[in-house]
Amino acid sequence: MTTAGYRDVALVDLIDRLLGGGVVVAGDITLAAADVDLVYLQLRALLTSVATAEEKGLTPQLGSAL
Amino acid sequence: MIELFAITNAPAPAAGGLHAVESNGLAALCAEAGERAVSVEDLWRRQELLEALMEECSLLPVRYGTTVGDESEAERFLAARHEALVQALERVEGAVELAVRVGGANEEASTDAAAYVRVKARLLELHDALAAVARDDRRLAPWRSAFLVPRDEIDMFLARVAAIEQANEDLSLLCTGPWPPYSFAEQ
Repeated sequence: MTTAGYRDVALVDLIDRLLGGGVVVAGDITLAAADVDLVYLQLRALLTSVATAEEKGLTPQLGSAL
Repeated sequence: MIELFAITNAPAPAAGGLHAVESNGLAALCAEAGERAVSVEDLWRRQELLEALMEECSLLPVRYGTTVGDESEAERFLAARHEALVQALERVEGAVELAVRVGGANEEASTDAAAYVRVKARLLELHDALAAVARDDRRLAPWRSAFLVPRDEIDMFLARVAAIEQANEDLSLLCTGPWPPYSFAEQ
């Protein structure tokens, strides 16, 4: 996988974590639905390229991932 | 309104323009919540800030976009969740989160029901093989897992990832990180 491809996967992993992980303080998430939609909109192209890369079974150099 | 970034042990290191609200040995790192548009750049900035912080202390990231009214509200949160937060901080001490994504299994899984069951079982096996060399693990999806790995065992973990990949030539394993322990912040 190219460096750009790796960054795309890393970005998807980052989004999953920021928006789906972490300590939850009940009821106080003020991130507007519209904001989240915007993030996912920006991501749509990236997600597509990740899916394509996975389909082709492309693999990055281990270690370059870190 | 203040935005919460991370929970850590008090005294918290001074970093990234954040200030600490402390309560009974815990600290919430926070900043004045400003108006801003969410962007990919903003998300990476958040990541870089937490990455720098986790070089200096154990921390639990707070869900992105979390705000509280004022500092006393942050203190009340720390007090109310004290026990669980202390335990979670102990669990992540000296460790980072590594994300592993398995690619290449979808095609086989979509051929028929038996293949689907076979692939699911195989993905679980891969997860378990990595979980055996991690401090803690979360299965986020059949093909996507998070592992809590002590910093000085990262190389060993990656060697296991490489070995598993070599033994499963039709699959690819993609590892990203190290991440702050987003997937291990809650019990």
